[in-house]
Amino acid sequence: MLIIQCPVCGAEGDETDFHCGGQAHIARPATSDPDNIADGDQRDYLFMRFNPKGLHFERWRCDRGCGKWFHAARDTVSLEFKAYYGITELPPADVMKQATGQWADFFKQATAGRPAAKKAAKKTPARKTAPAKAKKS
Amino acid sequence: MSDAVYTSPLAHVAGSRDGADLSISISEVSDRGMIDLRGEAGSVKFRQAAKAALGIDLPLKPRTTAVKGDMTVLWLSVDQWLVCCPRNKAGVLTDKLRKNLGTVHSLVVDVSDARAIIRLEGDNAREVMMKGSSIDFTLPDYKAGLVRRLVFAEIAALAHIVTDKPCVIDIYVFRSYADYTWKWIEATAKPAATIGLFGAGSQ
Amino acid sequence: MTGKPYRLPETAAKGSRIDRSKQISFSFDGAKMTGFTGDTVASAVLASGRRVMGRSFKYHRPRGLIGLGSEEMNALIGVGEDGRKEPNLRATQVELYNGLTATSQNRWPSLDFDVGIINNKFSRFLPGGFYYKTFMWPRSFWEKVYEPFIRNAAGLGEAAREHDPDTYEQMHVHVDVLVVGGGVSGIAAAYAAAASGKRVMLADENPVLGGVADISAGDIDGFSQADWVAARSAEFEKSGNCHVLTRTTVVGHYHHNYVLAAERVCDHDPDLLARGAPRHRLWKIRAGKVIVASGALERPIAFANNDRPGIMMASAARAMVERYATSPGMNGVIFANNDDGYLTALKLHEAGVAVSRVIDVRKDVPSGMADAARAAGLNVQAGAAIAGVETGAGGKQITGVKIAPYAAGRGRVVNEEKVECDFVAVSGGYNPVVHLWCHNGGKLRFDDDIQSFRPDRHGDPITVVGSANGSFDLKTCVEEGFAGGETAARALGVKPARSQKKPAVKAQGTGPIQPIWFAPATGKYNEGNKHFIDFQNDVTAADLELAQREGYESVEHTKRYTTLGMATDQGKTSNINGLGIISDATGKRIPEIGTTTFRPPYTPYSFGSIAGTKKGELFLPVRRTAIFDWHKKQGATWEPVGQWRRAYCYPQAGESKQDAINREILAVREKVGLLDASTLGKIEIKGPDAAKLLDLVYTNMFSTLKVGKARYGLMMNEMGFLMDDGVTVRLGDDHYLMHTTSGGADNIVAWLEEWLQTEWTSLKVFVTPVTEQWSQFAIAGPQARTVLDKLDSDIDLSPEAFEFMSYREGTLAGYPVRVFRISFSGELSYEIATPSGYGRGLWDALMQAGRSEGISAYGTEALHVLRAEKGFIVIGDETDGTVTPHDVGMSWAVSKKKADFIGKRSLDQAFLASEGRKQLVGLLTTDPQEVLPDGAYAVETVKSAPPMKMIGHVTSSYFSPTLQRSIAMALIEGGQGKMGETVSFPLEGGKTVEAVISSPVFLDAEGKRQNV
Ligand SMILES: [Zn+2]
Repeated sequence: MLIIQCPVCGAEGDETDFHCGGQAHIARPATSDPDNIADGDQRDYLFMRFNPKGLHFERWRCDRGCGKWFHAARDTVSLEFKAYYGITELPPADVMKQATGQWADFFKQATAGRPAAKKAAKKTPARKTAPAKAKKS
Repeated sequence: MSDAVYTSPLAHVAGSRDGADLSISISEVSDRGMIDLRGEAGSVKFRQAAKAALGIDLPLKPRTTAVKGDMTVLWLSVDQWLVCCPRNKAGVLTDKLRKNLGTVHSLVVDVSDARAIIRLEGDNAREVMMKGSSIDFTLPDYKAGLVRRLVFAEIAALAHIVTDKPCVIDIYVFRSYADYTWKWIEATAKPAATIGLFGAGSQ
Repeated sequence: MTGKPYRLPETAAKGSRIDRSKQISFSFDGAKMTGFTGDTVASAVLASGRRVMGRSFKYHRPRGLIGLGSEEMNALIGVGEDGRKEPNLRATQVELYNGLTATSQNRWPSLDFDVGIINNKFSRFLPGGFYYKTFMWPRSFWEKVYEPFIRNAAGLGEAAREHDPDTYEQMHVHVDVLVVGGGVSGIAAAYAAAASGKRVMLADENPVLGGVADISAGDIDGFSQADWVAARSAEFEKSGNCHVLTRTTVVGHYHHNYVLAAERVCDHDPDLLARGAPRHRLWKIRAGKVIVASGALERPIAFANNDRPGIMMASAARAMVERYATSPGMNGVIFANNDDGYLTALKLHEAGVAVSRVIDVRKDVPSGMADAARAAGLNVQAGAAIAGVETGAGGKQITGVKIAPYAAGRGRVVNEEKVECDFVAVSGGYNPVVHLWCHNGGKLRFDDDIQSFRPDRHGDPITVVGSANGSFDLKTCVEEGFAGGETAARALGVKPARSQKKPAVKAQGTGPIQPIWFAPATGKYNEGNKHFIDFQNDVTAADLELAQREGYESVEHTKRYTTLGMATDQGKTSNINGLGIISDATGKRIPEIGTTTFRPPYTPYSFGSIAGTKKGELFLPVRRTAIFDWHKKQGATWEPVGQWRRAYCYPQAGESKQDAINREILAVREKVGLLDASTLGKIEIKGPDAAKLLDLVYTNMFSTLKVGKARYGLMMNEMGFLMDDGVTVRLGDDHYLMHTTSGGADNIVAWLEEWLQTEWTSLKVFVTPVTEQWSQFAIAGPQARTVLDKLDSDIDLSPEAFEFMSYREGTLAGYPVRVFRISFSGELSYEIATPSGYGRGLWDALMQAGRSEGISAYGTEALHVLRAEKGFIVIGDETDGTVTPHDVGMSWAVSKKKADFIGKRSLDQAFLASEGRKQLVGLLTTDPQEVLPDGAYAVETVKSAPPMKMIGHVTSSYFSPTLQRSIAMALIEGGQGKMGETVSFPLEGGKTVEAVISSPVFLDAEGKRQNV
């Protein structure tokens, strides 16, 4: 039974007070361009997920607290939470740096695409991770 | 036509227990009106309009409450509050809030009938809470004025610590769970089941 | 069988736990016995002279007491009667109270004469792996012969058949430091940690703190260990920041220092139970730091027939004498491979119990303890081992041992000497109790000095101290404990408020241990000679060796093949010995073999404590509508819908359920009916972008809906599958009220919040659930308007003023109401919502008003038949998470205009757009009286036996009293193109039902009835 702390309201509690929403930073193709989505891209969006041994990035909801969604960086081996951050934000730079494998590649593209987000978005949809405005808490 | 007949959620059980056969006294709070208020805490317009209607600033710090006269505003989320007032004033207050808020992005709903409120009173109240919930009610900041959502006896609930001495905690549950929650507390708060955590009992 | 009473006179042994002035009566297997306050069942039964306390699991060999506490593997008993009977309790842990009823296990018909002992005679046919070998062939024997045999012979104890009348509960607690184990190390740890002022919890499985302090040598701070423990624990009680739990076993350690501890609150005190205390309490502990001070367990030595009654652990023999003034026998021998055996020898000798020989495996016995024994006049024999056991009374009593010079190996021993004795105290060294350390991934390393595994690394905030850490001398135990407590407090970032004095220890050092995993036997190995390793599961050294020969070399395979360590004691005493045997057999060192995984729980704990308060009417949270009591009074039968209890139907006197359902349906079709629909999900949605949100979550358009109007909407998940439906009403320009299914209410609120918070973050919309604010009733039937017209209302109900699919707000009979002219029955229908506090009042008013029209309440089954007659789908009946709107013939509800909505893109994925998907159709059975079972499979061709190609299944099936025939809906491959075709449904028992595919709308396809 994990202990989790909500970065929005600060409530700390058992895992059962929260709801895990699976892998973070998956962009929804239809939100940006509903008319031009290849079958394969839709399939990847729905079903393809990372399964890292080590640092992972997830969505959680403060289910029995403020009801808000947030992001968490969690080590799937030690189960340690390395960071909590806003649902519309990318991980803190120091944590992002620790990412390996698919996540390292993902963040490389996500951050490289930042100045020209639209271009990067076509291939690696990551708009949701790099929004214009961050949510205050 | 005759007057509308009102039935409180726990009208079918004893109105209150004097604590003779339980380690705490429990009773139904049935005269409380509740208004669900949603709006953006960051919006000055919203906060001012709400204050104009309520006569009090909304509590902005998580898990806190604001009290004025017969009204208590419970913080529920960064954009949600539960305004508690006497039941017979809820309709008027709802209208007033809606009117003051006008076109400011917000949602005001009279939910006076959505929840049942059970009041726990006595030194053992915190212990009973901790039999039903994983929240630590002995934390230093879990004092009068604290409100938090939690899982209590496996259902979604809201706990409000009203006073510390004597210890009074109001548990809000959705109305349909009233009977279940009441019976759960009756089964759990037996005097012989008292633990007295850390030699306590009196907080 | 009873022998001589073994209670020692007070002059010889006081018995620190017992009060001789308070005698207690109890029964064991029906025999009346007496003991003293403070006795355990084990000590009292032994004191009465009874040796055999149980029979073994596989061979049914008579077994006596062997251990000291929770590790006991032989003396397993059932305690209590009727609903209170609990099996498999360790007699060493069951505290005596007046009137206690204990029964032995694994024996039939009685403990002294047991039919299953024949297994012992045939044991040559029951080798390791016999479960897998014996019962495999012939297959037909399994059900009739083997299974009944196994079920009869196996099984540990017998569970109660009656309801357990007692209560149980659970408690959550958050502590800074949790100390597991109240021996001297644990006490030292708690003592040091408590000084910080932080919250410390100390849990111990025994009724008295101290572990083995009271039977060990050495002083702390000038006190005896027991007195020191008593003084420290008295301080804890007063401190206000240390909570001590006795009779509480910490059973599991989980992620983030989540710890489960099972407290036996009342098992020792029936009066407490009678006063209403919970029998057991399960503690759910969250600890900043866990300090494991769980001690060590003495291990047996594998010698021939080492399971005979009278052979017990040396520490247990010592405790029997010192705690309970109960002698394990009249004349014993000690068998040891380490110094601790000598302490037992001396203590027994001091209490006047004859010890005729101390047999030490070691050739070179260290001076110190051995010298003390010799000085006391004891006969110490070095370099020897027990080679066999002589028994009398059919193996129920040992009469002597055979002693031979010890040489490692499996050979036959010839040079033996026979020594008479009636008990043997065995000291094979100690194993640290590492279970808790390992539950959440703690690593172990093998220590040659103690010949056992001890804790190594752990990723969690957990430390281990004392003998649990493999430190067996008193000084290190206390020092580690103290340091562990101080470090824990410091790690939590507190400077100790007061600093505790470091305890000073005086104790004699001990010499090294010599491993002995197997003592060679007299006679042929494994014929009449069994070297028991796992006593509870009857696993012998020969079984383990056989497993190696047969290729089960991995320790995890050996375990499963032989069942080593898989009994309820979880291998507490057998694990290391088993590894020793495997080591001998394979020539591998123990650390190369590795250990099996330690899993929770450390000891079994009751189902009651796992269930806690969840029994009887609190088994599940049950949701009641405001009308619940009325339904109950009308004799409603119930249908669970999620946690709701909805009225299923209302049988009147003399009516069957089906009669009631038919009557209710016809009332709606011909007169008027009233349904409690309060459970329907209701969500208020408001904000400038409310319409935009609804267009995104529904398949159809809601931005075009006019204020005051209602529209039925379909919701898909992102994969294009139906997940919910319901009617949504536009209350204002920027304000909607959404209805969801009863089961989907909570999920849909969360669903909307998720999309708003994580995807469409710029949309300005608030959603809030109002399900419970409103009681909602459907009044349906040709007379619905007539009934409502009788009640005062400011709403014009005329068909011209209040059209179908529209909404009004106002008052009715003095009640504030929202009225929706919508219909799920196909009849003229109004859904009326009033705040829940008024629900019952309005319900009564409606029933009253409708009396002359013959109004009838109708339940969920009538509701379902009514909607099925109209071909309306129910989410969860017609859909199962793989069904699209197109599949159920609702393409009309899927917008072609909207650029995007949830699931839209997925509907175009190849799989969902393909031909031949199952489609919703109606079914009319050829025999109109034949009602198809729900879920029946439609097949392409009926064959005499499966397999047959399945082409669909029945999703809903009823008898329609309106149409006086059976109707059903089904999902059939390409069904919409098969109208008029006949399909077959082969049922269980060889019967086949045929049905003609039709439109799913069986009644009033034009919708005239509802639109009047
Ligand atoms: Zn939160």
